[in-house]
Amino acid sequence: MRFVSFRSAASVLATTALLSIATAPSQAQTRAETLRYVTGASVNTLDPNIPGSTRESFALSMSTYDRLVAFGRKQLNGKWVFDLDTITGELAESYDVSPDGLKLTFRLRKDAKFQDGSPVTAEDVKWSLDRCVTAPILGKAQLLTGSLTSADQFKVIDPLTIEVTLPKPDKLALPNLATVYPMIINSKVAKAHATPDDPWATAWLKEHTAGSGAYVVENFKPGEQVILKRDENWNRGSANKPAFFKRVIVQSVPEPATRANLVERGDADLVVDLQASDVQSLEAKGKLKVISTPQYNAITYVSMNNQLPPFDNVNVRRAIAYALPYDDMFKAALFGRGAPLFGATWPDGNPLNGIYPFQQPVKMDLDKAREYLKAAGLPEGFSTTFSFNVGQSATAEPMAALVKESLAKIGIKVDIQKLPDAQMSTQINEKKLPFFTEGIVAWLPSTDYFYRNFYTGTQRWNYSSINNPELAAIAQEARFEPDKAKYEAAGRKLNAMHFDLMPQIMLWQPNQDAVMAPSIEGYTYEFHRQVDYRDVSRK
Amino acid sequence: MVMTGLGATMVRAGRRLLSSLPALFGVLVFTFLLMRVLPGDPAVFFASGPNAGKEEIEQIRKQMGLNKSVPEQLVFYLSDIGRGNLGRSMMTGQPVLKDLRERLPASLELTLTALLIALIAAVPLGVVAALRPGSIIDHGVRLFCALGVCVPTFVSGLLLIYVFYYLLGLAPDPTGRIDVFTSLPPQRTGFLSIDFLLAGDFEGWWAACKQLALPAVSMALFVIAPLARITRASMLVSLGSDFVRTARSVGLSWGKVVVTYALRNAILPVITIAGIVFSTMLGANVLVEKVFSWPGVASYALDALLSSDYAPVQGFVLLMASLFVLVNLVVDICYGIADPRVSIG
Repeated sequence: MRFVSFRSAASVLATTALLSIATAPSQAQTRAETLRYVTGASVNTLDPNIPGSTRESFALSMSTYDRLVAFGRKQLNGKWVFDLDTITGELAESYDVSPDGLKLTFRLRKDAKFQDGSPVTAEDVKWSLDRCVTAPILGKAQLLTGSLTSADQFKVIDPLTIEVTLPKPDKLALPNLATVYPMIINSKVAKAHATPDDPWATAWLKEHTAGSGAYVVENFKPGEQVILKRDENWNRGSANKPAFFKRVIVQSVPEPATRANLVERGDADLVVDLQASDVQSLEAKGKLKVISTPQYNAITYVSMNNQLPPFDNVNVRRAIAYALPYDDMFKAALFGRGAPLFGATWPDGNPLNGIYPFQQPVKMDLDKAREYLKAAGLPEGFSTTFSFNVGQSATAEPMAALVKESLAKIGIKVDIQKLPDAQMSTQINEKKLPFFTEGIVAWLPSTDYFYRNFYTGTQRWNYSSINNPELAAIAQEARFEPDKAKYEAAGRKLNAMHFDLMPQIMLWQPNQDAVMAPSIEGYTYEFHRQVDYRDVSRK
Repeated sequence: MVMTGLGATMVRAGRRLLSSLPALFGVLVFTFLLMRVLPGDPAVFFASGPNAGKEEIEQIRKQMGLNKSVPEQLVFYLSDIGRGNLGRSMMTGQPVLKDLRERLPASLELTLTALLIALIAAVPLGVVAALRPGSIIDHGVRLFCALGVCVPTFVSGLLLIYVFYYLLGLAPDPTGRIDVFTSLPPQRTGFLSIDFLLAGDFEGWWAACKQLALPAVSMALFVIAPLARITRASMLVSLGSDFVRTARSVGLSWGKVVVTYALRNAILPVITIAGIVFSTMLGANVLVEKVFSWPGVASYALDALLSSDYAPVQGFVLLMASLFVLVNLVVDICYGIADPRVSIG
């Protein structure tokens, strides 16, 4: 930029011109350094451990707090997804697992600081992990799945070393420490806000953060928006430098069509919860980047209550499994955006591998369905209800209509019930619904974890209410099986039992459709199914 | 004379407020019971973490006070209300009173603006239609009103967004009350258009007004019809009455006859309808709030209802009932101003 000033008036003019030129790019730059992420959900707490916290709150806490370790990432069909098998240090510089698998030792980074500038010590780590297993918060049930149950298991060796002891060599102990809940809190700050009634400062941490994460909360309006500011000193990212975006705006926009407009016009940078139809048309226009990843830790089911007649009869369940119009349902509900879990071919009639979820060898075959109904002693069919919740009606409503139509052909009369979300969860929890569609998600998707949590016990997540002691025993045994071949064999056995018993019907794994401005890079599908703002950058 | 008139009005208004207290109490108890009778256990809904089991459900139940019997819960609830505590929302994690205090100005600003736009459009339309009944203008107004009523607010909202934001790029992005990049003025009234003016920030004021325009217009479109129709009907009666004939016969100017004599007499039913329309709009603008991501009370209450979050729903109904009482009172006072013969009692 050159200019020559002759007189004062000219110089004033020129300075003004220069100023306006100088400010324009700097404003543009701020926008380029800001990530505007829009979502239909909202953040309701800054501590994801609070019962009732939303998925957006989980994602937010990944950026505001660090954990001891983090999941790596890998490419799956050309798309980045989180990798359960690679666990890297986050606050831990390195970690060791003892040969017997009973001791995990973590050495903390010397340069790690909380956002208030104080160093992260083993004391803070112990306090945070103690809180997670002791306080009445969500972390308790999660860490239980990794055999982490008591504060005695966490021991401070020196200010930068902490040791975790396990009662059994549990494969899921280490991955559990990378999940949302066991975040490391600045214990001095939190303790200062603890009360005798609330020794773990849950009330204070709900509205405030005291972490060492990549982003500082600048403005938090529950249900509306959160604005984050980068912590310049944070260096736990892959390249030992702070996160890319200087500012992140997480904004709630309830109407999906509006979210689609925003990202198409370039006003929003990234959105992951658009309607399948909008994603399809945006993808067709080709202006935006669309990354679709099957949510490989989530499954949509058609579930049947195995304890309620007539679904207590295995042949009725098999009849349903062969009477569903899978392809039409997949198209109507998801526009085919996902990974189907039906229509496999098992050449020798045995599962292809021991991984759950798997594609079942079922397809629509009404004659076969009628035979099974006859075998169940119900050749004339029966009447039942099919339920789904209002929150899922965009996908479940067309699906339910197809289920009704198809089952009518084999004499099963279906009444469709659309239930408010709270009512649906209550009825599932009380095991009152005979026939419905629901979904599940597992943060740590391993075969035994799925079978133990979703096919045993009387808790809500056992949608089919199946109670099969053999299945439960195999899954329980597999949990602590160190031998890979034996684990695989157990998985095959479980999958074969699933197909034989048909407790519920796996339909598909819906896609996570991340739609973003073409300049956004690094998007990774994370275990919590939201965006980790630390992953993304702008080119 | 004026003072005593005003004093008497105030006394009557106070009496009216007192007499509405039992009704408010009834609403309070009724909503409380209704929420408990509805199927759906909020504790189960909110214990939705991937590992939430029986223990978490029990804990949330305790936190929400649901482990006690219904009469006990009612007593606790009433004593909380007496202390000005409306409970805590599970959904936003905030006290309901705080949520409502933040969201009510947004809804009020939107509804009042929409009502103002509707009145400015509807009254002249109604008057014009009444002056030439059966003419092409009258039919035009009728068609316009019918269209406004037929198109649901969310359709007109989405349509306006599509045209003015998506196609033309004239309107700002439809995400709430203010562009995320604009800094907010210090909160005084909660009405952004007023707060910006008080802070002397005209750029911000203009931004807030642009943000307000589309949702207000889509809401106004829906209520122009009843207001215009009632204006037309009562203008027709008024224009055909003796005093207008007299006014005309003594040679008063056209404007004076229509505006001072006819319209002033015809405005009473319009005020009544405007009051009713305002109350319904406040509760029923949920669709507009959703479409424009407007952080108002109606969308808040709907989300709470879907997740059986008791406290916000109860707080919302109480708020709406109180507002209804207030609006009726204001309408009655407006009567007195429009027609001194009317006194509230």
